[in-house]
Amino acid sequence: MSENTQAARELALRAVELAFAAGAHEAEAVSSAGTSALTRFAGNRIHQNVAEKDASVSVRAVVGTKVGVAATNHTDDDALRACCEAAVAAANSAPEDPSFPGLPAAMPVESIDRTAETTRQFGAEARAQAVASIVAQSSSRGLTAAGGVKVSDESVAVANTHGVDVAQAVTGLRATVLSMSKTGGSGWASFVSRDASELAASALGEEAASLAERSEGAVDLEPGEYTVVLAPEAVADIVEFLGYLSFGAKSVAEERSFMSTRLGEQVASPLISIADDALSPLANGLAFDFEGQPKTRVALIEKGVATEYVTDSYWAARLGRPNTGHALPAPNSYGPMPLNMEMAAGDATLEELIAGVRHGVYVTRFHYVNVEDPVPATLTGMTRDGTFLIRDGRLSSPLKNQRFTQSAVEALSRVQGVTRERRYIGTETSPVLVPGLLVAGFRLTGQTQ
Amino acid sequence: MRDIIAAALDAAALAGATYADARIVDTRKEDISVENGRVEGIESSASFGIGVRVIAQGSWGFASSADVSVRGAADTARQAVAIAKASALCAGPSVELTAVEPVVDTWSGPCEIDPFSVPLEDKLALLLAADEVLRAEPAVKLSKAQCGFYQVHKWFGSSEGAFIEQEHTETGAGIVAHAIGNGEVLPRSYPNSHGGGWRQAGWEYVLGLDLVGNAGRVAEQASQLLGAMVCPSGEYDLIIDASQLGLQVHESVGHPTELDRVLGDEAAFAGTSWVTLPDLGTLRYGSEHVTVTADATVPGSLGSFGYDDEGVPAQRDDIVRDGMLTGLLSSRESASSIGRTSNGCMRADGWNRIPLIRMTTVSLEPGTWAFDDLIADTECGLYIETNNSWSIDDKRLNFQFACEIGWLIENGKLTKMVKNPNYTGITPKFWNSCDAICSSDHWSVWGLPNCGKGEPMQVSHVAHGAAPARFRGVSVGVGR
Repeated sequence: MSENTQAARELALRAVELAFAAGAHEAEAVSSAGTSALTRFAGNRIHQNVAEKDASVSVRAVVGTKVGVAATNHTDDDALRACCEAAVAAANSAPEDPSFPGLPAAMPVESIDRTAETTRQFGAEARAQAVASIVAQSSSRGLTAAGGVKVSDESVAVANTHGVDVAQAVTGLRATVLSMSKTGGSGWASFVSRDASELAASALGEEAASLAERSEGAVDLEPGEYTVVLAPEAVADIVEFLGYLSFGAKSVAEERSFMSTRLGEQVASPLISIADDALSPLANGLAFDFEGQPKTRVALIEKGVATEYVTDSYWAARLGRPNTGHALPAPNSYGPMPLNMEMAAGDATLEELIAGVRHGVYVTRFHYVNVEDPVPATLTGMTRDGTFLIRDGRLSSPLKNQRFTQSAVEALSRVQGVTRERRYIGTETSPVLVPGLLVAGFRLTGQTQ
Repeated sequence: MRDIIAAALDAAALAGATYADARIVDTRKEDISVENGRVEGIESSASFGIGVRVIAQGSWGFASSADVSVRGAADTARQAVAIAKASALCAGPSVELTAVEPVVDTWSGPCEIDPFSVPLEDKLALLLAADEVLRAEPAVKLSKAQCGFYQVHKWFGSSEGAFIEQEHTETGAGIVAHAIGNGEVLPRSYPNSHGGGWRQAGWEYVLGLDLVGNAGRVAEQASQLLGAMVCPSGEYDLIIDASQLGLQVHESVGHPTELDRVLGDEAAFAGTSWVTLPDLGTLRYGSEHVTVTADATVPGSLGSFGYDDEGVPAQRDDIVRDGMLTGLLSSRESASSIGRTSNGCMRADGWNRIPLIRMTTVSLEPGTWAFDDLIADTECGLYIETNNSWSIDDKRLNFQFACEIGWLIENGKLTKMVKNPNYTGITPKFWNSCDAICSSDHWSVWGLPNCGKGEPMQVSHVAHGAAPARFRGVSVGVGR
């Protein structure tokens, strides 16, 4: 157990003890301790370079069925005691909540090593050297690079008065590159791993720079429904929004998810399977949720059929379902949520998907996606950093960035191809693993200038 | 705090920094929410730490720690210098800062009733009462009432001799009713969506909102939305209410006029800007009716302070005057790069974040119209209220917003209610289509406590003044 993990565990256990002493009938503490550092670059130079060290604890105190939460990053005993007393006072002020099932009991949690010593050792000089390698690929071609190299080493511990006592460390690295030409071309590449030694900085810089060169001279496109090839970065946005909007018990119970009425139905193409599986050897992140319960594999969409949604202790009890171990830190207004999603791979390459399109659009990634209608998961957003017309099976003209307004569920029902290569996209400690997709009838509703 | 900040500044200088500043920040928060008659959450939190920012070998470095002691501050400062020296391995021109008079001063924001002193029972009683009124409407399947309080106390010192102590309190509250049925989720909020209204104020602000008194109307409108017509598609003369227009200003004037975006420093994440440096003083941003100011001195606004997080005094500056671009939001470094002085927009989201250029109170100045006259003057149009969704491209040109509710305007009268109204446009075309803005009688400042920017993500608390205004020929009902 690392020093941070031990510190987080001791903090959580001490907080539970103090909350109980302060009058809580039940108590739970979620603590974190760790470091993170980010080297940002823009204009081919490092312009922001930051590091952070912190430890904090959040205490959930229960009195009868009344619940209160308090959190602090002051970790000395006096401050911790005051925090616990605040949580108990909050609980005492609340009305009884007959639907509160009590804090969950301890369950076995699989021990997984999600750390890499190389990441812990990836200091400011290593980050700067990685940035220099990335930037060189753009600056040598007259392009301008921006992005960041971030490393983190965070431990999370959860303890409660029913014997929950779990702790785990997660390390991660995330590198991003945007390469831009003077005449409007732009390209993007990103990399996520728990192991910093896996970063191939020059190759990442080259991928973005090549795309930037390729995307110069963008032309107009009329709005309409197009067959699109979505690179993994774009697919990640769709999957993450479905996780946020549709795959949690609270949104299902409140009829805000398509799953509320369509469980068991064929909602997507048979080519689409999405699961949340924190224990997958491919995943990063915690093996337990923020109630210290083991995360279980949940098949959310299986061969296009809406199969299951995720729960936590409250929603499992309320809906009479098993607890899948997907609690977020309490309290939250979202309910349980999948944080380790992966979409199943297909059998095509990205090039083969493109080759199958007579007239369509290739999308490298989306930008600023937001929700217009939660039940069909209608999203709007822009394309960015490499949007191309596909003509007769080949990438042709670069396109101006396009706006889409499209139901994510409907889009998944029109998937006609899936790549076998998948990429990790997202945060360094909780990325999604997604392939590229070929989608028919994708609605592009406007474009930028 | 002076000793601790001095220790950081001294350690930074000894380690080779040519400039250093240190901020100690102590924050306290409380959030309370009630949903469908059940207490969803009562949460308080506290955070305390120090951040040290330095220039060494011409490059920036920043380190932060929760260890707020003389020794901890010095260690943090030395780490910041080491990071700055690493930055120099891939450096551009040496960082230059525009001059600022170092001051020793204090500032505090308005707060009549300390919200942290109000008993939790009183807060819960008010929220539960409002929630009960919302739930009395049968079509409302999901109701929510919430309030939140944020108190910050911070100390800033620089190697140039500044030492500034500031404190303020922010208070917010709101209600939302979701009518749910037939596969539709239709929210209606008061006084604003996404967490309600926010001010630099105390508990008196919550009392003044009269959440209970407004809950009936909110619930009724939510219910009516279920049976309302779908927003038509086409080009309409669009009248936008003040709260949504505040967000429109935020996304399509505030962000694109942040100088760090213009210079490309946020390119990889939030994006750049359609505005370029030569545009300053020459670009027609909007019609002659459009004047936008950035003002950090508006009493009670979330965008107000005494000094920014570089020690630059709060200012009021024109961004757009009579439709012409006249100013940009700046920092000491970015202003120096264009030969101007900073207009004081640098703020950090806590002790563990560097300051970034953030909006203050960026406002569309009022016009002369009475609201009723503006409706009466519109033959065929759409009036919309309260944001539901927003999206804009990486240069801040192509935007699309959805609102909670709208009404057709037919022959100068508000007629049929419409659900899910949305609209899209291109920033300069949109602002140049503005031909009428309501007067100061209809103008109000809207706090926006959730402006995200930067990596690691920082959430800033900003504000926007606006009055309802009319835009000609806007595309509405997109994607229907």
